Amino acid sequence: MKKILPLLAVFLALLLLAFPGGRARADSPYTTWAYGPRGGLVITQDAYSPYTEVDLPINGAEDMFVSPDGSVYIADTGNGQILKLKDWQVIATYGKGTLQSPTGLYVDDQGTMYVADAGKNSVFILDKNGNVMKEFGRPTEPLFGKNRQFLPRKIAVDARQNLYVISEGSVDGVAQFNTQGNFIGYFGANASQMSLVMILQRTFLTKEQLSQFVKNEAPSPSNIAIDDQGMVYTVTAGTSSHQAIRKFTIAGKNIFPDTIGSRTFRDIDVSGDGLVLAVDADGQIYEYDVNGGLLFIFGAKDKGEQRTGTLLNPMAIGRYKDFIYVLDKDKNAVVVYQTTAFAQTVHNGVRLYINGFYDEAKPYFEQVLNHNGSFILSYQAIADAYFKEQNYPAALSAYRLAEDRNGYSQAFWELRNIDLQKYLSPALLGILGLVVVQAGARRLNQRTKWTEPAGHWLRGLTRFKWVDDLVFMFRFIKQPADSFYYIKKDERGSLGFAFLIYAWVVVARVLSLYSTAFIFSPYSSPSQIHVENEVLTVLGLMVLWVAANYLVSTITDGEGRVRDVVIGTAYSLFPYALFALPIALLTNVLTFNEVFLYTFTQDLMYVWVAMMLFIMVQEVHNYSFGETLRNVVVTLFTMGLFLLTGYVLYVLFSQLVDFVSTLIQEIGLRG
Amino acid sequence: MNRIISCLAVVCLVLGLAVGSQSAAAQGSAPANNQVTPAQGTGPTNNQFTQVDHVDTNWHIDQTIPDNYSLVAENATFKLYVDLNTLAFKVVDKRSGYVWHSTLDQKAADDRLNKSWEAFAKSGVSINYLDQQAVSRRVSLTDSKHTLEVKPVDQGVQGLVTFSDVGITVGVTLQLEASGVSIEVPFDSVKESDPEFKLGLLYLYPFFGATRGDSVPGYMFIPDGSGALIRFSSTTKAKNMLYDRIYGQDLGMIGSVPWDPFVVPPYQASIPVTGMVHGYKQNAFLSVVEKGAAYGEIQVHPAGVITNFNFLTTAFVYNESYFQPTNRAGDGVTTLQHETNHFDVKVHYRFLTKDDSDYVGMARSYQQYLVEKGMLKKTTDASGDIGIRLEFLGAEKQKILLWYSSIPVTTVNQMSTILSDLGLPKADVVYYGWQPLGASSMPPQSLKLDGSLGSVDQLRSLADKVRTSGGNFYLYFDPQAALQGQGGYSARNDLAMAITGKNLAGYSRGNNDYYLNLDALQSHTLGLSKVVFSSGQIGLALDGIGWNLYSDFKSGHFLNRVDAMQKYQELLSQNLGPMAFYAPNDYMFALMKAYYDMPLGNSGYIYTSDVVPFLQIVLAGYVPYYGKALNFSSNLRQDLLRQIDYGVYPSYFLTHEPTGTFLNTPSKWIYSSSYGQWGQEIKNTYQWMNSLLAPVKGQAIVAREVLQQGVVATTYANGKRIVVNYTGQPYSAGGLTVNAQDAVITEAVP
Repeated sequence: MKKILPLLAVFLALLLLAFPGGRARADSPYTTWAYGPRGGLVITQDAYSPYTEVDLPINGAEDMFVSPDGSVYIADTGNGQILKLKDWQVIATYGKGTLQSPTGLYVDDQGTMYVADAGKNSVFILDKNGNVMKEFGRPTEPLFGKNRQFLPRKIAVDARQNLYVISEGSVDGVAQFNTQGNFIGYFGANASQMSLVMILQRTFLTKEQLSQFVKNEAPSPSNIAIDDQGMVYTVTAGTSSHQAIRKFTIAGKNIFPDTIGSRTFRDIDVSGDGLVLAVDADGQIYEYDVNGGLLFIFGAKDKGEQRTGTLLNPMAIGRYKDFIYVLDKDKNAVVVYQTTAFAQTVHNGVRLYINGFYDEAKPYFEQVLNHNGSFILSYQAIADAYFKEQNYPAALSAYRLAEDRNGYSQAFWELRNIDLQKYLSPALLGILGLVVVQAGARRLNQRTKWTEPAGHWLRGLTRFKWVDDLVFMFRFIKQPADSFYYIKKDERGSLGFAFLIYAWVVVARVLSLYSTAFIFSPYSSPSQIHVENEVLTVLGLMVLWVAANYLVSTITDGEGRVRDVVIGTAYSLFPYALFALPIALLTNVLTFNEVFLYTFTQDLMYVWVAMMLFIMVQEVHNYSFGETLRNVVVTLFTMGLFLLTGYVLYVLFSQLVDFVSTLIQEIGLRG
Repeated sequence: MNRIISCLAVVCLVLGLAVGSQSAAAQGSAPANNQVTPAQGTGPTNNQFTQVDHVDTNWHIDQTIPDNYSLVAENATFKLYVDLNTLAFKVVDKRSGYVWHSTLDQKAADDRLNKSWEAFAKSGVSINYLDQQAVSRRVSLTDSKHTLEVKPVDQGVQGLVTFSDVGITVGVTLQLEASGVSIEVPFDSVKESDPEFKLGLLYLYPFFGATRGDSVPGYMFIPDGSGALIRFSSTTKAKNMLYDRIYGQDLGMIGSVPWDPFVVPPYQASIPVTGMVHGYKQNAFLSVVEKGAAYGEIQVHPAGVITNFNFLTTAFVYNESYFQPTNRAGDGVTTLQHETNHFDVKVHYRFLTKDDSDYVGMARSYQQYLVEKGMLKKTTDASGDIGIRLEFLGAEKQKILLWYSSIPVTTVNQMSTILSDLGLPKADVVYYGWQPLGASSMPPQSLKLDGSLGSVDQLRSLADKVRTSGGNFYLYFDPQAALQGQGGYSARNDLAMAITGKNLAGYSRGNNDYYLNLDALQSHTLGLSKVVFSSGQIGLALDGIGWNLYSDFKSGHFLNRVDAMQKYQELLSQNLGPMAFYAPNDYMFALMKAYYDMPLGNSGYIYTSDVVPFLQIVLAGYVPYYGKALNFSSNLRQDLLRQIDYGVYPSYFLTHEPTGTFLNTPSKWIYSSSYGQWGQEIKNTYQWMNSLLAPVKGQAIVAREVLQQGVVATTYANGKRIVVNYTGQPYSAGGLTVNAQDAVITEAVP
């Protein structure tokens, strides 16, 4: 029987050939997700369908390298050797007896194998026949660090034959060597995360105390890949999922944007045409374009059902043509996925798009949108194509759908520019005309007083209290201090009008949210605005301020009555009531180039309101400057306390509700 | 030496069949020199196609009937021999002389059977019993103290087996029938006399037809998705046996449907049928669970998992343990269900010989069984254009400030316009989300449309138009679902309860659901169906009830799965209107006018070797079946080819508005549906598929053959043959040419 086995293996391998050209269809054990509107994920057609699972004669293998000609090299960790497979058939083994437990593997164009051996903590360079060309361990260079260990786990090599070695627990990043084993330097360290508690600890604790804590060190990268341009990509497990993938320039600067990722990435692969694949410990596979745009997430863990395409303990990922190969350590197998026709369309578009062929990419993305209208990346690509075609109106609406504020701003700038050129001179002429007419009218008025009756009638309106209150509001612009004094003396202002201002503030807040242009709005779609929350927040803040300020003032010799505080606060808020909406409307003619106009006017408005409140406190309560300052600080603090108390009460109350509902359920069930 | 070589050749040949290949090309050539470059072959094959079958008669299986067996019954086709000491039996198929063994006679050296497994293999009856700690142990007739009383019955024997140590008795009746052998265990005969022990699982002849490794060429069939084969092989990728509850897990026992948005759950077994082929086109059997399927669990063991045998059986669940949480943190105890499941068992082995001995023959045999029992009725016309299912989303709701308003997505008039633009007369039109506030609210118990969609009169006149042009008009309705957080049912009185005392919970079409108990379900369904069916133009497209079978443990409402199944059948047979079902189980087949969401593949278990259109062959010629909506297909061409191969009619999900309008609603799973984008595609697809499938409309599938890997020919009863080429290369043979990724229809080769 023993003789049969190798023969069988060969035979099997021969049988394992697909009929050419066909694309398999299969019901996937996983759903596939793409980047959707508002930074969320949307479900989409399968990007890769499970193809098969190839059992291999390996033991706990931890790395795999797929060479451009389709050969697969596997670091057979448990058996201490490297396997070379062609059509899933072992055609060579290397390093048996030399290697102990190879965990990292890279093979260059010449077939030279670079191996990180975790058993011997050494790096081996084997020629294409498996002869050892070089072996090196911990570098002796002082630059490496006096106390640093060298625990090589993963390895990659760039075109200039620099070796990048991931050393377990290395906080300094990836260690870089030349082929002679000389340490060149560290590359692309992760930043350590500093929490508020740590900052406080550092400020207040002594060195001895600090040393009691676990050192706050940057997580070390867990795997590495190098693309055809020589860009280095790393994945880091245990870091924020949004920054788990990093792509470094030659200078070691990360240029991969924050994006959706995983905290448990195991391996990363970059294809020649700029598609990035990463697999995590839960068997989820992430695909990005080379600029970090998320294309797809899919994959599922094998929970004992043994369905094709599920993963137990993925260690390495690679791509060959239409196929993704994932090495599974616990299955001792490679799981194969095949690109679907849908993903092929996306890839075709992406390939052209990232190379700048926007026009050529557009039809692909239009096709993608036909099949999934939530595929945000498509809108982006189509928008860029329109922009390049100088079809700005179409670009504008596509950027809007892509939720790309920068692009939208640029397209808008172009459109506005066209409008400006068209209408600027007539507009200027019009304004000039108006100035002339106004000057004429004024002169005429001085002579004939023909507007006197109207002016008289208008002044007469101040007989009505609320009109008077309204007119009074404008007095605050020039003489705030005096005006507050009038309130205190009951001479001007009224409670009724104060409430009108409060209502005005609320309405202005809501309307300004809706009318702020897309570029400047924190919301991508009006449906995200929770009106009830906004109203409650604004009202709550105003009520809290009035209540807290009155309470604080009564115990610190403030003279103001509740009425004074209510009316005073209302009039203090008038800059907001007057200007919030106009500023929001103004944004509709601005682009990012003039962002300063928006932020500056808005800041001005808020500072004005703050000053008004300050003066209000000073005047109404008759404080000195110092007393006012103290009062305002204590008022803010009190507001905070109110909120805290409210929160505590809320938690207690919901516990009570929980308890009662459980009780009722129990009685219902058993009674 | 010669013997070794010939042995090798046989092994290779068998293996070649098992894995399926262009083996003819591979044989004889020196493998090492015959490497295929990546340009020719792009990678390994996968198990999502049917493999090539070859007739191979070069095999042998023990055909002797030992002396301790005596002939107890005989009819025109079969002889039944029984060992009266063990209840083991053997069936001789007189047409071929083939002997079917119900148990293992003699253990061989490399069978990998330990004592317990050997007893299991040799026993006709084995049980798993549960003690009070809910620990399960297996005992078999031949390795435990037992008593056996045997008495003859008409065409068979009856045996009363008592496992003395645990006081559990089961009565097994074995009878010869015209088409095979039936095995019955009436519930009356099941006794648990020792309160310490409960009957857990009952195994009946688990080793029926078992084969060793790859000693017999052939395969096992399991009803997974459209159908799956496991070809006999000396090794398997399976690490454990397949346990597949017929009709899925009982929600009443597990409480809630496991929720993981990243996972697509495997198919549930929708028909209680398994089978085995011993030699392609030579011998086969089919096992149909006629009674007790709702408590049946298909267990499949490919050679190499534990033992060296391929066997498959349906075990029956009488008692199960479950986890009872005792506080909100989720701590609790594992305990036994209080009452033994009450159901009768009947398993029917049907034997096939010669030409019928493949999965097509099995499916045809099952089809014949269904028709004879009145469980499958012909609803399809024998001629004319093929059908197409067009499902429209009516309305969805969105929250504005503090209350809900509906978003009209496709109004009745828009639907009418779309239908006339498409001009497909035979369309099955399904209206989803028609109820007030749309898809994510409870349907009313009378016919009320959401106000923004149009009036009931408009709906009725559209339905009329569709009906008169030869199509069907259905309203989507899930009779079981009680949408969470919605009105329309009483949370206190109307919901079914799990054994743990919690409401059953699950999800469907983007919404979280509870499930109605039988009373509420009946009144909701009758209320609505009476009005809907009243004028005869509108039907109901029923989701849920066709495939979801749960027991209800609410005190006073207790209902087990077998009873639930019967009540559902009774309820729906009162309805005098057309009904279509979404992926129904076999017990709804008699009631359905159309089958929706027909699977095109299976769950993809790595140890299965083929996908076969078993379910399709069962229904072909009787009930039209429609696929899943093609909007969501990622390999459209492949899916269409497969639909043509399987005779599946196309299906689309359509809306008038673009999908963006309901992006923030539970219906966002419909991510591509706007008619503007799909209209042309639908017209083209229909035209193409109609040209191929119309000539075989209403015809049964009589044969299906894989001509070469990736090229499949399906023959229909009227002599037409459809050849589908899945590969990237044109196929031509015998004057027939099929372009790459294309299909043709021809006359069958006589």
